[in-house]
Amino acid sequence: MPIRRSHVLSPVDRRQFLRLLGAGAATVASPSLARVASAPRRLAQGGGELIVGAPQDRTGSSSNGRYRGMYPPAWNVFETLVGLSHDFAVEPALAESWEFIAPNTWRFILRDDVVFHNGAPFTAEAVQWSMARIADEGGWGMYIGEDSTKIVDDHTVDITPTEENFILPLQLSQPGAGPILAPGTDNAVERIGTGPFREVEYVPDQQFVGEPFPEYWGAPPLLSRMTFRYMPDPTTRMLALQAGEVDLIFDVPREAAAQLGSGGLRLITSPVGSYEALYFNIHGAAPFELGQDPVIREAVSHAVDTGALIEGAWQGLMEPNHTMVPPVMLGEAGNSITGLSYDPAVAAQMLDAAGWTVGEDGIRQKDGRRLQLTMVVGYPSAEIHRPMPEFVQAQLLDIGIALEIVQIPDVGAYRDRLVRGEGDLWAENGGQGNASPCALAVELFTSSEESPEVNPYANAFAPGPEFDALLAECVASPEIEDVQAAAADAFRYLIDEQHIVLPLGGVIRLYGASERVLVFEPHPSQFHQRWDTTDVTAGA
Amino acid sequence: MSRYLLRRILYLAPVWLGISFVAFALANLAPGDPASILLQSQFGRPPTAEELALKREELGLNAPFIARYATWLRDAVAGDFGTSYTTGEPVFQELANRFPNTLQLAVISLLIALTIALPLGVLSALKRDSLLDHLTRVNALLGAAMPSYWVAYLLILMFAVWLPLLPVAGRGTWQHLVLPSVTLALAATASLMRLTRAEMLEVLGQDYVQTARAKGLSARAVTLRHAFRNALITVVTVVGMLFGGLLGGTVIVETIFAWPGIGKFVVDSIFYRDYPVIQGFVLFMGTVFILVNLVVDLTYAWLDPRIQVVRP
Repeated sequence: MPIRRSHVLSPVDRRQFLRLLGAGAATVASPSLARVASAPRRLAQGGGELIVGAPQDRTGSSSNGRYRGMYPPAWNVFETLVGLSHDFAVEPALAESWEFIAPNTWRFILRDDVVFHNGAPFTAEAVQWSMARIADEGGWGMYIGEDSTKIVDDHTVDITPTEENFILPLQLSQPGAGPILAPGTDNAVERIGTGPFREVEYVPDQQFVGEPFPEYWGAPPLLSRMTFRYMPDPTTRMLALQAGEVDLIFDVPREAAAQLGSGGLRLITSPVGSYEALYFNIHGAAPFELGQDPVIREAVSHAVDTGALIEGAWQGLMEPNHTMVPPVMLGEAGNSITGLSYDPAVAAQMLDAAGWTVGEDGIRQKDGRRLQLTMVVGYPSAEIHRPMPEFVQAQLLDIGIALEIVQIPDVGAYRDRLVRGEGDLWAENGGQGNASPCALAVELFTSSEESPEVNPYANAFAPGPEFDALLAECVASPEIEDVQAAAADAFRYLIDEQHIVLPLGGVIRLYGASERVLVFEPHPSQFHQRWDTTDVTAGA
Repeated sequence: MSRYLLRRILYLAPVWLGISFVAFALANLAPGDPASILLQSQFGRPPTAEELALKREELGLNAPFIARYATWLRDAVAGDFGTSYTTGEPVFQELANRFPNTLQLAVISLLIALTIALPLGVLSALKRDSLLDHLTRVNALLGAAMPSYWVAYLLILMFAVWLPLLPVAGRGTWQHLVLPSVTLALAATASLMRLTRAEMLEVLGQDYVQTARAKGLSARAVTLRHAFRNALITVVTVVGMLFGGLLGGTVIVETIFAWPGIGKFVVDSIFYRDYPVIQGFVLFMGTVFILVNLVVDLTYAWLDPRIQVVRP
């Protein structure tokens, strides 16, 4: 596979150097910038060792979790029953095929040529054992219970969720949701899977080294070895790439990306796999109740120029997207979602008609109430959204809406504020981790009778029974076309009809690579990144 | 002396108890529910009520605050700081795994700082208003003014990118130690150098130093045996504080240089509301600070025999 995109960069000048140093002010966990220059190397044949500069190590601490995909264990040491293609379709992995057996059972036919890294054969017993671990942790929203998995024969298992679940294979495509481990092993301690790479060294917080597994059932990896060196600071990763210490780095800061390009270094981008969006709190109490007014929601949606945001503030390193999921996931049904056009004049007219008149300070008022909104920025961090909040603030000011920006340092404090409902607009940057086009809508916007402490999202954003009925269609059929249509209906309701969600753009992942990297195909979902198809030149 | 030492050690108990309560309260009163943070991180989506209830039960978060504190304190006294929510490993083990890395960095940085700062501080005082003195003071000012992250990036650019002599980041060889140690040492050097100079200037003006000179002692003897030794009392106090600061406050340098120390681990734990780690760290570092201060106090008596340990 070819590298998707490359940008050629200019050498570093004094200004860039100072900008690089200045970026440290935002520092440590925040995006920053750098430039690159490494001694040119002669290209040779592939099959070398790849050294990756990766962010924080989560191999041990979250070995079951979603971060596995960013790191070697997921999809490289471990595998799941089904995989996720680059266009977010479920594809065979350890299961050759699967079928739905009414009323609520999924039968998986397993490959018979698979062995674990410890030499044990992969059989239905391993699936049962791995699913039992998931059941122990509450089923992970897939309704997998203690007795859900039945062995039919050595290479056939039936999984019957404890509740009706027509989308189980879509959910199992997430590496964190269904890793298949060698029975009796703990992947937080030793990582014994069936994947193309086996672990040869793991030093927590420092590095993970993997080598090709010679008995791998699929095509053998192209690399002779892969080493992940953990470098939490993005500027350090850029400098390590520049110094030639690593061949490829994750998460190039957007503001630094345009400078990549000299000395054989280049920027590689993934297809859209995540989203940047604003959600309106539609159940807030005063002074955060303005989101209950559909006129204000629609006016805000008309007032934000997402095209200018993407091309200007985000330097073209996002893509237009009218929904929260990668467009390909909705198929033809996705065309029915149009989003609202940028039209500040219409937005102003709507507010005028609703009685919001512009005051002396340029901010609209009605019955003595200023039209001021609060945007809460903090998921998954405040830094990741910059400079979007200020951009939106300026655009809303143009139509007479004041916007206060509240930056929250981490997810815990963000959730705590969401529990209290103290905000009108909530900025989130999230990703699609499995093949279910309904997953995000279900997880974030389903109604709930539970308290805000338990389900703050529902208490702030859930539209109600009408929307729940649309979501019910998402899980009413095992056919993907039906699920796509239901998901499109749900997003159209949220975005075009009720204006509860304002999608700002599709997020693409940014990687930096040296000229040693011959082939690298970034998966739009970082959690599903595979390294067996990556290749680098032999030798340093 | 032994009675004094014993008494100081006994004083540790109430201080340690106070630290333990503050550590527990700070961690537990911070906004954010560790169960939901962990599950959201694990699943990539908000957890369901059932998952949340299960996790809270598993983490023991449903018990009242005081009951949890009492349980934790009882275990901590026995050396069990609990289990990390995020890694699933004993907190003591996690801290013990990382603390030597931070200690290594702190000790080397302090040694570098002392090696540079003390001689230059003394020389600067002896040659007051000379070119050396001016240069030393300007450098001290620069060292104190430059933020450590800026110095870190500058050093990486100079010695790892432009002159590829040292590794950018990581740990493993002595070369990996150089840049983070120098980064940390620069600020410490600056403050120690200024302090040493100021203390020496003050001591050199004292009557007993004049007397020593009048008695015909050599300049070397006056400087080292009479002036420097007395000037060191204040310097030792600051060295103790600096060392404590280096042990507990190297998170930025550890992050930039991907140094697997205790600071970065704890900051990550704060983001995840990993209560046992936060509590264990504060308690652990509090104990280290107390011990460092004890050593500093004992050093006073060695430096200046006039300082006696007296019974109250």
